[in-house]
Amino acid sequence: MPAAASTSIHFVRRARLPWRAAGLTERQAAAHLLSRLTFGARPGDVERVLDLGLERWLDRQLAAEWAEPVLAARGRSLAALSLSGPEIARRYPRPALLLAAARRAGIVPAKGKESGTDRRGQRTAALRWAREQGYEAQSELVRELLAWKLWRTVLAENQLAEVLADFWFNHFNVSLTNRQARGYVFAYERDAIRPHALGRFRDLLGATAHHPAMLLYLDNARSTANAGAPTTLALELTRRAPSRFGDANPGRRFGAYARPADLNRKRSSGLNENYGRELLELHTLGVDGGYGQEDVIAVARAFTGWTVVPPFERARGGDRLARLGGRNGHFDEARQGGLGFVRDGDFLFRADAHDAGEKTILGHRWPAGRGIEDGEEVLDLLAEHSKTAERLATKIAARFVADRPPSTLVARLAKTFRDSRGDVRSVVSDLVSSPEFWDPEARSAKIKSPLELAASALRALEASLIEPESTAAEIARMGQSLYAYQAPTGYPDRAQEWVNTGSLLARMNFGLEVAADRVPGVIVDLDRVFGEREPASLAEALRAAAAHLLPERDAEATARLLEPLLAAPGLAARVRKEAPPHPTSGPEDTEADFFAASSSPSPTPSAAGRAEAGSPLAEAVGWILGSPEFQRR
Amino acid sequence: MWTRRTFLKTGGLALVTFGAGPAFLARAAAATSGSGGRRRTLVAIFQRGAMDGLMAVPPLGSPELSSLRPRLGMSAARTAGEEAVIDLGVGFGLHPAFAPLAPWFREGQLAIVHAVGSPDPTRSHFDAQDYMEAGTPGRKGTPSGWLNRAVALAPAAASSPFRAMALTPALPRSLYGDAPALAVADLAAFRLQSPGAVAAATSGEGFEALYEATAQRLLRDAGNETFEAAERLRALDVERYRPASGASYPAGPLGKALRQIAQLIKADVGLEVAFAESTGWDTHVQQGTTQGAFARAGRELATAIDAFWTDLGERRADVVLSTMTEFGRTARENGSGGTDHGHGSCLFVLGENAIGGKVHGTFPGLAPESLFEGRDLAVTTDFRSVFAELAAGHLGVADPKALFPGWSGARLPLLRRA
Repeated sequence: MPAAASTSIHFVRRARLPWRAAGLTERQAAAHLLSRLTFGARPGDVERVLDLGLERWLDRQLAAEWAEPVLAARGRSLAALSLSGPEIARRYPRPALLLAAARRAGIVPAKGKESGTDRRGQRTAALRWAREQGYEAQSELVRELLAWKLWRTVLAENQLAEVLADFWFNHFNVSLTNRQARGYVFAYERDAIRPHALGRFRDLLGATAHHPAMLLYLDNARSTANAGAPTTLALELTRRAPSRFGDANPGRRFGAYARPADLNRKRSSGLNENYGRELLELHTLGVDGGYGQEDVIAVARAFTGWTVVPPFERARGGDRLARLGGRNGHFDEARQGGLGFVRDGDFLFRADAHDAGEKTILGHRWPAGRGIEDGEEVLDLLAEHSKTAERLATKIAARFVADRPPSTLVARLAKTFRDSRGDVRSVVSDLVSSPEFWDPEARSAKIKSPLELAASALRALEASLIEPESTAAEIARMGQSLYAYQAPTGYPDRAQEWVNTGSLLARMNFGLEVAADRVPGVIVDLDRVFGEREPASLAEALRAAAAHLLPERDAEATARLLEPLLAAPGLAARVRKEAPPHPTSGPEDTEADFFAASSSPSPTPSAAGRAEAGSPLAEAVGWILGSPEFQRR
Repeated sequence: MWTRRTFLKTGGLALVTFGAGPAFLARAAAATSGSGGRRRTLVAIFQRGAMDGLMAVPPLGSPELSSLRPRLGMSAARTAGEEAVIDLGVGFGLHPAFAPLAPWFREGQLAIVHAVGSPDPTRSHFDAQDYMEAGTPGRKGTPSGWLNRAVALAPAAASSPFRAMALTPALPRSLYGDAPALAVADLAAFRLQSPGAVAAATSGEGFEALYEATAQRLLRDAGNETFEAAERLRALDVERYRPASGASYPAGPLGKALRQIAQLIKADVGLEVAFAESTGWDTHVQQGTTQGAFARAGRELATAIDAFWTDLGERRADVVLSTMTEFGRTARENGSGGTDHGHGSCLFVLGENAIGGKVHGTFPGLAPESLFEGRDLAVTTDFRSVFAELAAGHLGVADPKALFPGWSGARLPLLRRA
């Protein structure tokens, strides 16, 4: 019965989201969907979801198919966005490299000869020189990173993709606190995370494994075969020697390059286990994933030689690499796939550093004599492992449902993860189709992260985010320094991480500040947001604000508790007194940063008036943004 | 309005709490381990950038050091117009910039541990700081920091929002973890930023009423504690704090951090672990001797610690302070009048119950064969031996090995057993 079949398919699709069974109205369901799959509802979003239908809205979010004209326009102001990863690495060098270049060019006195010179003047001169050479300060790249993150979070139509990009970055965390990795974080998120946010887990795993940010952050870039281990290059040369070189001892012909660890000899003294361990413990199987120290070592050996092309020839190792490349021709062959070398952008597989010995990983044997395929096959194995499916199912459910998600849900998602071979879209689709997602217990069960809190406030108020620094600083003050969580675990996804004495006060203050339009770089126009409603009284303004900011939630209780305040005599006078100036502070650099001071632009003050700061409406909105109800999603 | 505050003031606990301030203080007072019923505090100062331990506390009369450091060498013999290295009388000297600490050493309150550091050979600031703060050399994935674990393992039963605090803009890796920890660079900023909200909260309205009423327990509890804490700090009037005994803190973040820590200790808010940072130690270029980059950083550190210790007065009995740095610097000076990243360094432990007036550990010497990788002061004391001693001896962490997963070393005796 073809007709019935099509009806039933239609019916299945319509019934995919079991909100009715959970006792929700369609409006409540739409609001819940928005609170979990986006960074917060904008005015009118609930209606838009209802107009489109919940299922269709979800399908479009899963397909990430909305056009993004607003974002595209914003993106045009970001210089780094149009550059390739390697171009970014070259244009925004580490301050130390820039300083060394300026020294070589004679702009800054040589090391040890600076005494009595004017450091500030030198910095200005060096920066001017660097710009003439086509370099930019790395702090500018960080500013663009934050701007792009916050713009996308607040403005993107394809919100689910943004939520998942945030999730995956945190899962595959790298950090700006690592100076080696810092210049690569922008490209990492753009090239390794975002394109796969709704894609396949294996692609995420591969993209992160190859990316300089990860290779540097977890030290794989300097992990090389231990002394005495056969390398891919050595084996390859031995194999080719008779026919190709007619040379009984290829090692002599290739000199040091046939031996492992000849770049960075001082620093890279062989195997580094960090990436191998975190790949197992954090990225895939999890700490109870049934692997042992011998597996960690074998995995680390499989990734020896996965490294980064130094951005500058004069950087450590760059000279030798250049010699290995262009001038004597060996590397040209390598580029064409010969000798086992592989180069792709800034990723470099060094056949001369890869431990080509036999390996046993999780009971599987990897034969000797191979190259980059060792690591690729380890990624294949880990991506398909049932422990990986369990771990990712748990983390995804925790992000979208509750800190401790129901085990029935986790089991179902793990199965989907396995059956779909790690298809993120299928897992999320299944998640939203699960009764646990709609359970009354799960509604408002999650505490917003500081990023989610800030983004949801800006979205609800339709604020214009012009400059990102102050908002990023507010988010940091609430306990989430964006892109700067030092540990590879990423931020823990649980309420206790975000709600404590220090952070809660910062959250309330953020609400008050943003409502009063006191966050630099952000413009809030409450009259525009609430203008149509023309509240007849303060009580009405409060109720309007509560309903507006807490759609389909029990806003009445919040409004009722706040009402006495508005009637309190003298309140208006009290709040009109100028609030104390906001302290500005940021994470301090541990090393002297030669270019930092001169390169970060001073934050733009908010355009709209301080005159409105402290108006009763602003105070009411601030209270609601700082209220317990608004902390939840 | 019926709030928790009015309950406390009028209900069953009225006898205890009326006029006695926030509830967590009552809890804190009820569960103390310090002298006279007060809580003990461990103050950690991280010297970021890697302090040159051989310049801070040089072995006296070492011919190796003189030949390794022709430009950076200093003598304990006074030459005209030059400050000299202070002879500690135990075979080691103290850089003159650290002079404010010398009396504490002579009084037996300052202990020095030399050739201390990490078993991991990394010379990366990032990695070495990460390993030291996580307390797991060679392992980056450890989710928590050792100071956070110390707080969690310490026996104090009562909670206080001020148990673990970093007087820094961002929470340091040392305090990552499950135990609540606070990062506040400026206590004066720890308040609601709107006068209206402040007024409302102090009268039990506004945010306070909202958080009182929420069904979400975590938000309710944290909310209550937040208002209590903010009120407490407001009452302290941090901006007008006057240090005792004429103590004078140096300008700059470290002096400010230690001044605020002293204030919190004296206010009995339940502070157990405090964290501060000292910077300027990455002296690759123009390190100097009695003047220069090293002397500047050293003077700020020593002056700040001396002011803190003086300011504490009788509260010194409850406090132990320790410095730490990620690694030391090359034994040999480099071509720029500085030193590069090395291995072993030294650290300072200050406490009335410290086994002071002594340089602890084993100094391995600077002969070529004794140097680590032929270039650095070797590490003979694992930093965990020191940290475990501090956590166990001062905070009462019963199993210091739980503090450092995978570590099976022994504590270095630095504190007198009570």
